[in-house]
Amino acid sequence: MSAPIEVLGSGAAATTATERPVVDAADLDVWLTRDHLESHVLRGVDLQIAPGEIVGLVGESGSGKTVLGMSLLRLLPEGARPRVEGRIEVDGIDMLAAPEEALRELRRHRLGAVFQDPMTSLDPTMRIGGQLREVAESDGDAIELLGAVGVPEPKRRLRAFPHELSGGLRQRVMIAMAIAGEPRLIVADEPTTALDVTVQAQILDLLSKLCRDLGCSLLLVTHDLAVAAQIAQRVVVLYGGRIAEVAPTAALLEHPRHPYSAALLRSRLDVEMDVTRPLPTLHGEPPDPRDLPVGCPFAPRCEFARPDCEAALPSLDPGPGPGRFDACIRSEEIDLRPKRVELEPWVAPLVDPQAEDALVAAAVQVDAGSSSFWRRGSTVKILNGVDLRIAAGECVALVGESGCGKTTLVKAVAGLVETSGGALDVGDKSPQMVFQDAGSSLTPWLTSRELVEERLRSCGVPRAQRAERVEAVFAQVGLPAWAVDARPAQLSGGQRQRVAIARAIVAPPKLLLCDEPTSALDVSVAAGVLNLIGRLRRELGMAILFVTHDIAVARLIADRVAVMYLGRIVESGPATTVIADPVHPYTKALISSLPGSGGRIKLKGSPPSLFDPPSGCAFHPRCSHAREECATRPPRIVAVGDSRHEVDCVLAEEQG
Amino acid sequence: MAAIEPVLRSGASLSRPRRWRLVRHAPLSDKLALGMLALITLLALLGPTLAPHDPLAAVGPPSHPPSWQYPLGTDEVGRDMFSRVLCGLQSTWLAALAVIVGGVLIGGAIGLVAGATGGWVDTVLMRITDVFLALPASILAIAVVAAIGPSLFHTLLAVSILWWPYYARLVRAEIRSLAARPHIEAARLAGVGWGGRLWRHLLPGAVPTAVVAASLDVANLVVLLAGLSFLGLGAQPPAPELGSMTATGLSSLLTSWWIPVMPAIAIFLLSLIANTAGDSIRDLMDRS
Repeated sequence: MSAPIEVLGSGAAATTATERPVVDAADLDVWLTRDHLESHVLRGVDLQIAPGEIVGLVGESGSGKTVLGMSLLRLLPEGARPRVEGRIEVDGIDMLAAPEEALRELRRHRLGAVFQDPMTSLDPTMRIGGQLREVAESDGDAIELLGAVGVPEPKRRLRAFPHELSGGLRQRVMIAMAIAGEPRLIVADEPTTALDVTVQAQILDLLSKLCRDLGCSLLLVTHDLAVAAQIAQRVVVLYGGRIAEVAPTAALLEHPRHPYSAALLRSRLDVEMDVTRPLPTLHGEPPDPRDLPVGCPFAPRCEFARPDCEAALPSLDPGPGPGRFDACIRSEEIDLRPKRVELEPWVAPLVDPQAEDALVAAAVQVDAGSSSFWRRGSTVKILNGVDLRIAAGECVALVGESGCGKTTLVKAVAGLVETSGGALDVGDKSPQMVFQDAGSSLTPWLTSRELVEERLRSCGVPRAQRAERVEAVFAQVGLPAWAVDARPAQLSGGQRQRVAIARAIVAPPKLLLCDEPTSALDVSVAAGVLNLIGRLRRELGMAILFVTHDIAVARLIADRVAVMYLGRIVESGPATTVIADPVHPYTKALISSLPGSGGRIKLKGSPPSLFDPPSGCAFHPRCSHAREECATRPPRIVAVGDSRHEVDCVLAEEQG
Repeated sequence: MAAIEPVLRSGASLSRPRRWRLVRHAPLSDKLALGMLALITLLALLGPTLAPHDPLAAVGPPSHPPSWQYPLGTDEVGRDMFSRVLCGLQSTWLAALAVIVGGVLIGGAIGLVAGATGGWVDTVLMRITDVFLALPASILAIAVVAAIGPSLFHTLLAVSILWWPYYARLVRAEIRSLAARPHIEAARLAGVGWGGRLWRHLLPGAVPTAVVAASLDVANLVVLLAGLSFLGLGAQPPAPELGSMTATGLSSLLTSWWIPVMPAIAIFLLSLIANTAGDSIRDLMDRS
């Protein structure tokens, strides 16, 4: 590898640099064809990226952000018969006119790409070393590359297959491949979306450090404004295939000039939000790229819209301050600075500690046999003695990284997974569940009505009353009347999740299980679903077990939080207490990894394998407070401070 | 609310006569394929009524080339080829349909139960299927027909018994992958019983695959039936049957080419229409 290219200055310097931009796209129009229907995915987009600059491209699904990223690489899906008009120059090469040969050369040496799911973008049949050698000159270079992206023991990893690495390590390998050619530009499409929060922060740090060291530019495509804000110097907000706003990150956060950017900022969750009120939301859904409105694409959802907003497409005009552009005809008159929106506060939930508990789990254990050929016969403990009690009407959030067993616990409560020990008591009414991916939890060939009526039939509701009940529940979950006779494929993601919720609550259960119901949804839609769950819980007096990897969501929705690590609940207690004042070192690390929470506690290594759980406290190999006894004996669960705050750690044993 | 209006319109159009609307809005190629399928089925049903001559009687000079009077010529004994092909279409097309429907029903039922139940039921049913797959279908059919006596009906019976294992495997694989999807867990939690899950939440998902496989199978089946007829096990010689007409006429290929080629073209058209219509049906199912 050559010496690092001279480090370019700060973001401000990079944006004002007079050098020729690495990316210069102007008046870019892209059409893609799906199912015989052509949609105008990008409509007159201009984008410049200066050398060394990190630009965040933010938008909801269907906004065209991925298509813009792929257009810069000239990697649009051939099957969709892409039609491109306008101009794209990358590193001085006209991407639309250049021959395939030159494009390949350019992609190989001057461009890098990192995609969302490293499992599907790495070849599963090839060792890491083999894949790296395709871009690196020699084994030595490959090892150096892996070292540069922070893969421990790079020499040994060369012989590993992608499935033997964790998600975070796989993404590092992808990044190593992207930087191998000393690129001028890296396009990273949702590089952290599939990763756990603690790993997400590491990957973002790595990308930003590499760009600094190599002097290359980065286009960070993401749906999450918070992710872009962490490392980008400039943010481009895309909506309905048009740029809504371009601004330096700090300026955008402080004073958005487009109502959509402001709405995105408002629906961002953080740990200081007011949990006593519903979240401010955007009504409606993002526009369908096959049927775009004539005027401003955001006008139908915009609270400031005037009749002339829908008359013609607004142009992207310069605003006050350097590098600011917005496409809103009213940006001069309206003030969008973040302010507290005073919505009617929630009524207090009906938690009733006197009534019979909605869930009592005592020392629940779930074992699973290994399906791996070499380990057949050995069993792993997915849940290792879980105690959890949910009072009637109470909402408990279950927080933890992927693989910690939180989904298994929910499925065990639902009766979908058999327990191998302990006791689960959910009362006489069976709990209902809302799944993570609403699309796959609804039977694709049945209409919403058929799905909801089925639930009523199994509850013994007479046929004559069913239609009425179905219509009532659809109104209750905020679905339009036509959705009753639609199939899942005709509904948007948010609507599908509402149908799933409608089926779960049409005969209100005592306990509702929610397995990451909003993690697959766009931010503006997710806020609406969270509000819905919060409202239904109060209206119907249901208890909720809510699984999430997002602490901000947990704080918002739950009365109590339970943190899981490797099949055990390590800390549980009132949501505000646990999040403001965590005791267990793992909880502390989780909370510190939230964007904007100040000093981040970096965890050593990655979560251990279930096949080879550490002795004593499962967390001790990654814990900065670990001492000798942690490796030899499991900690006791002790109560800390006020009622029902329990911690599974030796530190707490001493305190308590 | 203007944003949801387009969706609303498409939603509103999804009322009762949904299927017919779907066909009406289908691309031209799909309409054409389905139209051809309807036409050939109609021809097969009406074949004997439409035939200008008796397919079994010599009505003209032997080995007469195609002319206005005999559009497809006559065969070596002077029977009208046009009438014979029309009647042959009936026995071949309806026989193929009968066998395939039988195979799909038996195989589908076995595959559905095996795939949805899993465990030892799955193992037992699939091993039985494997045994049937291991035996060469045509030879077994010959043995069965030889035992119960040659006739078209017996042949169809024998072939139907042998034709299902393929569908059993296909449907089982499809059902197993569907059964792993969360919508089955969701249905279970909603209180839907085993039978309901099978019938409403699993089976419809396997239908498109089975339909496409069945449409591709028509050609195979026509060839198998022709082979059996050639061996004297299917429709008995003077009776018009496209496979046996092609096979027996082959000796005249160099002298009177139309005798084997005309029924062969009919077989070719039959398979082609079955395949394209199968693809179209699958596309329509995907879209609905």
